[in-house]
Amino acid sequence: MTSPNSTSTPVRVVPNAGDASVTPSVAPSRSKGDGSANSSLGTFGVRVIMDVIDADQARIAEEAGACAVMALERVPSDIRRDGGVARMSDPAMIKEIVDAVTIPVMAKCRIGHFVEAQILQAIGVDYIDESEVLTPADEEHHINKHNFKVPFVCGARNLGEALRRISEGAAFIRTKGEAGTGNVVEAVRHERAVNSEIRKASAMNEEELYTYAKEIQAPFHLLKETARLKHLPVVNFAAGGIATPADAALMMQLGCDGVFVGSGIFKSDDAPKRARAIVQAVTHYNNPKVLAEVSENLGPAMVGLTIDDKLPGGRLATRGW
Amino acid sequence: MAQIAIGILALQGAFAEHKASLHRLDLNRQLNVILVRNPSELSLCDALIIPGGESTTIALLARLAGLLEPLKEFSKTKPVWGTCAGAILLSESVVGAKKGGQELLGGISIKIARNGWGSQVESFEASLELNGLRDSTRPFQAFFIRAPVVLELSSSSDNLPITIVARIPLGLLPPSLVEENMSEDDPRTIVALRQGRHLLTTFHPELTEDDRFHEYFVRNCVLSV
Repeated sequence: MTSPNSTSTPVRVVPNAGDASVTPSVAPSRSKGDGSANSSLGTFGVRVIMDVIDADQARIAEEAGACAVMALERVPSDIRRDGGVARMSDPAMIKEIVDAVTIPVMAKCRIGHFVEAQILQAIGVDYIDESEVLTPADEEHHINKHNFKVPFVCGARNLGEALRRISEGAAFIRTKGEAGTGNVVEAVRHERAVNSEIRKASAMNEEELYTYAKEIQAPFHLLKETARLKHLPVVNFAAGGIATPADAALMMQLGCDGVFVGSGIFKSDDAPKRARAIVQAVTHYNNPKVLAEVSENLGPAMVGLTIDDKLPGGRLATRGW
Repeated sequence: MAQIAIGILALQGAFAEHKASLHRLDLNRQLNVILVRNPSELSLCDALIIPGGESTTIALLARLAGLLEPLKEFSKTKPVWGTCAGAILLSESVVGAKKGGQELLGGISIKIARNGWGSQVESFEASLELNGLRDSTRPFQAFFIRAPVVLELSSSSDNLPITIVARIPLGLLPPSLVEENMSEDDPRTIVALRQGRHLLTTFHPELTEDDRFHEYFVRNCVLSV
């Protein structure tokens, strides 16, 4: 018998409630399947996760078919507008959202802020996002995620960054994109970078992989496993700048396993309708006829921002090391 | 012999893993695996697997894809296996649904509780004794991820008899569900059962490489009728 986490992926062990044995944490992990590019993602395949700031929005997201919600005080576009230090949300507000919906609830902590993570774990969130959208608390270290029972998601711009996060214990990876811009260009760049580096690695022999691991600053064993699988050893989501059903389907066709939609939904005119359309677009991402139907009459999308040196709030994707 | 078509509802969730498990089966029949996203794909299937995922999401996407009524009809006449979220959809009634209720397909006469164990952190692994599967002295390692809990079996004699395929020990039940003098035969310990040609598992056999549940479904629920 092989457990779903039995690749050389880091496996967190949590004590089993009932007996003395230990069990691999059942965070989303790709089963080994047939090893094809699009295989297998725990129960987490093809899902949409939406940013929400209160219980009402959380219920709209659930009604629309979101598979999880990200509870936060301000969506990224507001963080850009307001500036200042962005921190973990008020636990009371997160608990209210946990009580309002039956789907899993995620919450963000600052990069390196392991105490915020301890607090989030204590109040019972289902996942923690160690997120560059909040102001980093540590400019050198990420959280040692092996110390936690709750699974973590982390952002990555390229393969080296993704594998460093996985080695620290991240249970799934997302692109960083440029959150709060409504501009998908950075998410596309990150996804293409990861895919292209994996293709490159999968053609290498072991000697070349040692050198490549050094070059991209990735742990060798994880790079070798990724090269063998021809995909990341954990699920890989798109995040940052996704505003339309077409954006979501684009990221799916580029090989993502699901999408995070942040400001794109509740900063648009008809949030419930757009939320539902994006959920359908992710399920039917390969069917342009369905994509055309769900894209009709959604009203104005959020106002997008071009990503240049004048971007309010600066480039968030460069946070993280 | 004629080819047999097994559909996997592919709206959201762990459909790719089920597909990989079915492809690993060694049967003397050719198996055609169809990922089902619309009614015309469903109409090609002789049997259906509803994967784990989020049951509210799957039900909603099924309705939006015009699949809800065809699925209800399908489960009246053809074999269906629900895992985790799929088990909820196959049940007659559900407790702990989202506000405003949740759509179900029905097909198995039980009452089930959504997410009976709590959050993602409470997910666990258990070794199960099996009843009626191949090689049944060998335990089955099962993954429970935000799993549902069977609350009651319908006692009406109009329904087909229910066969219990696997239970978990009382000690693994969440403390909130355990009562004094609870019997080992309490329905809440049931994690796999069969009624007629339908199979239900509250855990995720597709996440392991032990394909005995897939083999059981195909051989006993689909082919042997």
